[in-house]
Amino acid sequence: MADTIDDEHLVKQFNRGDESAFDRIVERYSSDIAALANRLLGWSGEVEDVTQDIFLAAFLGLKKFRCECSLKTWLFTITVNKCRSYRYKRILHRRRILQAADKAFLASAGTADKTPMDSETFESVRRAIQVLPAKYREPIVLRYLQELGTDEISRILGISKNTMQVRLNRARAHLREDLAELTKEKL
Amino acid sequence: MTEDKIKNLLQEADRMAGLPAPVSVSLSAVVRRRAHRRRFVSLAAPLATAAVVLIAAGIWNLAIRTPGNTKIALLETQLKQLQVRTDAALNLIQEVLVEEQKQHSLDELEAQLASIPDPLEEIQKQVDKTAFILVYHADRLYRELNRTDSAVETYNRVIELFPQNRWAKVARQRLSEIEKQKI
Repeated sequence: MADTIDDEHLVKQFNRGDESAFDRIVERYSSDIAALANRLLGWSGEVEDVTQDIFLAAFLGLKKFRCECSLKTWLFTITVNKCRSYRYKRILHRRRILQAADKAFLASAGTADKTPMDSETFESVRRAIQVLPAKYREPIVLRYLQELGTDEISRILGISKNTMQVRLNRARAHLREDLAELTKEKL
Repeated sequence: MTEDKIKNLLQEADRMAGLPAPVSVSLSAVVRRRAHRRRFVSLAAPLATAAVVLIAAGIWNLAIRTPGNTKIALLETQLKQLQVRTDAALNLIQEVLVEEQKQHSLDELEAQLASIPDPLEEIQKQVDKTAFILVYHADRLYRELNRTDSAVETYNRVIELFPQNRWAKVARQRLSEIEKQKI
């Protein structure tokens, strides 16, 4: 609650022309935004550009923000939208990006020898998330990885709770199908 | 597969992927610069277009009113003026774009610079490692080879060379242990 009040104060301060308020907003939310973007992009690890674009959109649109939802929810909405367009652009360069991501993954897998999941399983889960259509991937990430409530998710995605539940069910069905082999072997 | 299994699998994968690279410290400054540049370009471009349209309208107006040779001469002058103003507007936009490109390169260089490890930190690590090796060596001399004198000498050397290091503290502890045992 204190955070919400503080956020409102920061937004008002920014709207009065004090741009230092924006620095505090970035400081407060940049890691959350980067983590969400990373998850929405299938743990690609390359989120610097998209995070910059998200905050640029926030900077340009903050004057229109009416505090009808929390600042975090609003920033998450921008993140979801930016990741959608970023992902679309990325599909155009898919091969190059996938190679880079594979390299990054192999490098990290080499150092993370104590993690409970093996690299093959991780790669399968990553692929399953990456091939999910955006409308199914977004509720899955927000629900299971960001652990947000249904109200907040439907507000961020701009859809009703029923639609959100339907998409969540379909996303689960997709994942069940894609990861079936994996659960037989690994779980 | 149950909902819980899917959730666990995803959360495990998320943990394994870890957090993304930390966001640059200068993120808000970079965003603000980009926003200001974008605002400037979005203002300059329509202004330049409006100026061109206005001048063209003026020329058109004059061309209709003025007869014969005077009309042509005036048209030529106005055209030259139009060209100069258009060039100036285009140059301005070009400069902004070049500036933006330079800034982008600068940001990239800054990011590269930030990724270079701090030399002082590296030296500190090496010092720490050396002190540790000496203490480890002395421990072996004392506990495994029973060469107390050599061990004491090595502990003293650690204290002498790295008095502020945490391994110097360990060396002092070991020396007091040896002293107690002698008594």
